[in-house]
Amino acid sequence: MNISPTEAEEALAAIHAMMKKARRTISSSGAYLFLIVWGPVWLLGFLGQQFLSQEVASKAWMILDILGGVLSVVLGVRLGRGVRRSSSTASGWRIAAFWLLLFLYSFAAVTIAWPLDGKQFAMFIILFVGVGWLAMGLLLDSASVWWGLALTALALIGYFLLPGIFYLWMAILGGGGMIALGLYIRSRW
Amino acid sequence: MAELNETIHQPVRLRIMAALVILGAGDEVDFTYLRNLLEVTDGNLGAHLRKLEEAGYIAVNKAFVERKPHTYVSATAGGRQVFQEHVAALESILKSK
Repeated sequence: MNISPTEAEEALAAIHAMMKKARRTISSSGAYLFLIVWGPVWLLGFLGQQFLSQEVASKAWMILDILGGVLSVVLGVRLGRGVRRSSSTASGWRIAAFWLLLFLYSFAAVTIAWPLDGKQFAMFIILFVGVGWLAMGLLLDSASVWWGLALTALALIGYFLLPGIFYLWMAILGGGGMIALGLYIRSRW
Repeated sequence: MAELNETIHQPVRLRIMAALVILGAGDEVDFTYLRNLLEVTDGNLGAHLRKLEEAGYIAVNKAFVERKPHTYVSATAGGRQVFQEHVAALESILKSK
């Protein structure tokens, strides 16, 4: 079989375009969508804590968390529908159990440490989410370990060095960073 | 030197293989999802999948998920190897231009 260089070039372009599209839609890279969902949740939630009263900000957080959770479930179902992983059944249940246990442990830790002020409470949640993120990264996708470490480092820097603008810091660098990272992964893949 | 593969070079089959090889070994993609991804008809995709299956480049599994029949498709180890050789052959044609 012989083809011209132009045909070879076209075939390679078609392959690369298909791989890019497939990675976006059927591979694990669809996880960038979770960053694009949770980025605005953090951005708006922390902005609310910086500029609104505690009562209004707490309600806003609750609504945003519910919205983020519902969207994540919908995305998870849609992403999982098209691809059947060779070991997904067992690992899927283990991952779900891990997050449930992590939630229970974080609840227990917060209860023991109570009363906490808003910043301390936010840091508890960020640290537990960070642990979960790192665990998922180490098990499933090593690249996300670095994002988890970076996010935790940002939160710690804000908490200890910039307490006056901690929420604003987390809104812009945490939430904004998630959105930017999600969009970057989307464009790169 | 790697050689071009006539079965894989057909445009739709080339795109099918490109989509399948990015999945992990043993991972399968649903027929409907693949059809939407490639933007082809059921009949067209089915015909090309048969060709690839006959050549041993893909595996097709039928299973019931939540009581509904689903067809899952995956690239075989041989299919991945042939696809990589085909890509290498295309690249060598470009380099020799």
